[in-house]
Amino acid sequence: MVLWPHWLVAVIIIPLTGAVLTPVVGRDRPKVASLWSLGTMALTSVAATMLIIRVAQEGPFSYMLGDWARPYGIELRFDEFSASVAIICLLGLLALMFSYRYVAASIHESRIPYYYSLLLLNLTGMIGFVVTGDLFNLFVFMEILSLSGYALVAISGERTAEMAAFKYLVMGAVSSLVVLFSVGLLYAVTGSLNMADISERLAGVTDRLPVMLALAGMAMAFMVKAALFPLHIWLPDAHAIAPSPVSAILSGLVVKTGVFGLLRAYQIFYGAGNYDLTGLNTALVWLGAISIVMGAFFAIFQEDIKMMLAYSTISNIGYIVMGLGLASQYGMIGATVHIFNHALIKATLFLGAGALIHKTGYRTLTDLRGVGKSMPLTCMALSIGAISIVGIPPTAGFLCKWYIALGAFQAGQPFFGFALVFGALFIFVYYIRMVNSFYFQQPTHPEILSVGEAPLSMLAPVLVLATLCLVMGILGRLPLSFIEPAVLRMLGTFGG
Amino acid sequence: MEVVDIRPVLAPTLSFICAGLIFMTGRKAFWRRFWSLSAALLKLGVVMSMLPGTMNGTVYVFKLMDFTPGIGLGFRVDALGMFFAVVSSTLWIFTTIYAIGYMEPEHAKVRFFGFFALCVSTTVGIAFAENLLTLFLFYESLTIVTYPLVIHEETPEAFKAGRKYLTYTLIGGALVLIGTVIMYQTSGTLTLSQPGVLTLADGTRTLTVLFVTLIAGFGVKAAIMPLHGWLPSAMVAPTPVSALLHAVAVVKAGAFGVLRVIYNVFGVELLRQMDLTTWLAWLAAFTILTASFVALFQDNFKRRLAYSTVSQLSYIILGACLLTPMAATAAIAHIANQAFAKITMFFVAGAIQRTTGKTSIHELAGIGYRMPFTMGAFTVAALSFVGVPLFAGFVTKWYLSLGALEAGAWWFVIVMIASALLNAAYFLPIVYLAYFKAPPGTRLHIEEARPTLLVPTIVCALYVIMLGTTAEVPGMPFSLARAAVRFVFGM
Repeated sequence: MVLWPHWLVAVIIIPLTGAVLTPVVGRDRPKVASLWSLGTMALTSVAATMLIIRVAQEGPFSYMLGDWARPYGIELRFDEFSASVAIICLLGLLALMFSYRYVAASIHESRIPYYYSLLLLNLTGMIGFVVTGDLFNLFVFMEILSLSGYALVAISGERTAEMAAFKYLVMGAVSSLVVLFSVGLLYAVTGSLNMADISERLAGVTDRLPVMLALAGMAMAFMVKAALFPLHIWLPDAHAIAPSPVSAILSGLVVKTGVFGLLRAYQIFYGAGNYDLTGLNTALVWLGAISIVMGAFFAIFQEDIKMMLAYSTISNIGYIVMGLGLASQYGMIGATVHIFNHALIKATLFLGAGALIHKTGYRTLTDLRGVGKSMPLTCMALSIGAISIVGIPPTAGFLCKWYIALGAFQAGQPFFGFALVFGALFIFVYYIRMVNSFYFQQPTHPEILSVGEAPLSMLAPVLVLATLCLVMGILGRLPLSFIEPAVLRMLGTFGG
Repeated sequence: MEVVDIRPVLAPTLSFICAGLIFMTGRKAFWRRFWSLSAALLKLGVVMSMLPGTMNGTVYVFKLMDFTPGIGLGFRVDALGMFFAVVSSTLWIFTTIYAIGYMEPEHAKVRFFGFFALCVSTTVGIAFAENLLTLFLFYESLTIVTYPLVIHEETPEAFKAGRKYLTYTLIGGALVLIGTVIMYQTSGTLTLSQPGVLTLADGTRTLTVLFVTLIAGFGVKAAIMPLHGWLPSAMVAPTPVSALLHAVAVVKAGAFGVLRVIYNVFGVELLRQMDLTTWLAWLAAFTILTASFVALFQDNFKRRLAYSTVSQLSYIILGACLLTPMAATAAIAHIANQAFAKITMFFVAGAIQRTTGKTSIHELAGIGYRMPFTMGAFTVAALSFVGVPLFAGFVTKWYLSLGALEAGAWWFVIVMIASALLNAAYFLPIVYLAYFKAPPGTRLHIEEARPTLLVPTIVCALYVIMLGTTAEVPGMPFSLARAAVRFVFGM
């Protein structure tokens, strides 16, 4: 079962087919559309599980489409980093489940099948993005997920949503073009689009200028996708205005594709072995540190709960990028695991916030005062998320903070260890405001005390995620030791 | 001899479960009280059952799991940890009884008792932590779970105090985290089971940075000046919170952390070679005297107690910094001596406030005629702080002075004497006011606090006397302190 070679194709084909068929199957029947997409995602999860079991057993493996050997054929490659499909499927399932009641209330009925279709497409794009071994395919999947992302932001049809989507579109389109340009450059220099192949051939390239230009282009474009400060300006509006399940996906997963792209670029260049990446590393570490602080700084002034969460994403991307830039074993492990953990945490927060907005109709901290008494479970989940994201042990966020800080000292750059740990304190400032307003302040709107908990289809995903935030903190060694060989392999190829 | 045993984990888990039960069933007063009291008793039972073994040199260990690869969430009961655990779990019982009486008219009691239990759970976790990461985990959790208690009143003033509390303690926590990272990077281990794991070979500069980071981190909760600012403002919390947390659990967690750093991370030998503790000893001496001076001018009862706490905590730091066996004994023993005396005083302050509504010292004239037992307990605690023989405080002072002489630092003896005088100057006037400055015509008219407030107060006062008179009796806390010192100094 596990060794069936076609799972790697199935994991893309299943959601893609499901997505295309959703508007047909679910036409005028929103409930059917919802169940259909859930079923699709469940099937995809089965495929993903098989792949992860296999990679855990035997390490990375490839699948050549149509049995064409590289560089002519298209290669799908599943390594430890690709195991991110687990979190994509998990969040996808939970967000779809959450959407069942949420979009019924917030999106026009005729658009609902398209909503599910777009969401599935978005997830397909991400799955493809992490399992492809081909640089041009990487670009294609990136476009799939970006285009569906723009539409999802705009789907509520409100004026602000359209504006946010437009801003997102402009930034996204420019960065996509830059990626395409860089891919073209690499193809021109090496004559291949296969990542492993490019990596091998790059070692022998003598004219370094176009190669470095390509690297710079990819790094910059992926930084836009990852919303690293100062390229973050599209993010807060888009993430705050989108429907909450979409925000969870966008903030938890879609921005990570930028980071993931960086990781793939690193793999290519570390693999080549003779490129000096110190300059890029330094830039990343600094930008990461600045992002942590600036994200937190902007978030402090936000009144809108989702806006606050959106800015907090910028800080967390800062953690990850800093970890990558440190290029030390611990830092790298911490960064890759934080891709996973932050997705869990941020999804908890966005879905929790979505539940609050759905039930109360309010979205600012002042209006939401006292909601902890009427929606205790949701607020508990949000508090757990808040504690996790600040990195208080024993929650999921702590381990990454610990590892990245350790990485900073290991790389001989203790300053960034300090920046990270104290930057996290900044983040606490605004999360404590959230907790205060839920539990300890007198309600602004007394009627908020009489709303009940969200329906089960919304509450369950939130609680599952909050539990995972705790579990991943306590059992944090599992992802850490899972990813370790991949990181060692990647760093090991770099200068021996 | 190390024995694998479940009890080190059981002790913190019990109060953790208790907190869960309170949150679930605590709307009914009966269940709230039932769970609080039974968990407190059970926990004391568990801790006490390990006492004889610890006395004989048995060390109970339990490794729960690997937290990150290589670093376990480990528990280990040695003499020092045991000492702290015994003190905090004994006091939990008294404070619970007191809180049941005190919190009667307050709101949000479920939250209060739930987080109260969580605090005690984390405190015992700190006491039994096997490595610095486990210690940090509980240290940071303690900050989080005390926050709802500090802002319990939900007034703007309380929020302000809460913000200040979090700012100070989270920065402290961040420093501890950095210190933990540096220690792991330097020595490859985080264990607290050795009398020092670092060596001079680790580099003087790194060691100095590490020492300063860790001491500053733990020093926030231990309220070493100038890191003490949060403590007086946190007095807005209800009295049982001030009593247990700000005289015992939170501040002692800081002091305990400092002891762990000095004795188990660096080790006495290394610190002697590096001469790192001298400045800290001076800082502690400065804190002792300055805080006492400030206390002199406080009219709010609880604020005066708070500054006295700041001053008294630095006895522990000073004792630890002198690096001699006698001084170390005093430092460890003072964890208990200060705790019982200070909690008595807080109980008194709370009892007076609940019974008469008075919160300022100048209003207390003649209170001894209305609440003679309460004020009697206060007198005992005050005499203990002044350092009168037969009371607990004397034991500390005596050994601390001996330790200072042992270290050849006679000037700290003068600090001791000055501090004793200052303690007399700010505590005895209260006693004087209560008994001898009654408005003319006052008669003995007993209106004591209700029994739930009075009984814990008196029991704690009796404890103070017991600690002072039975220092040499085997099986008393003092012998535990001795056992800890023997391990640390390799005797």
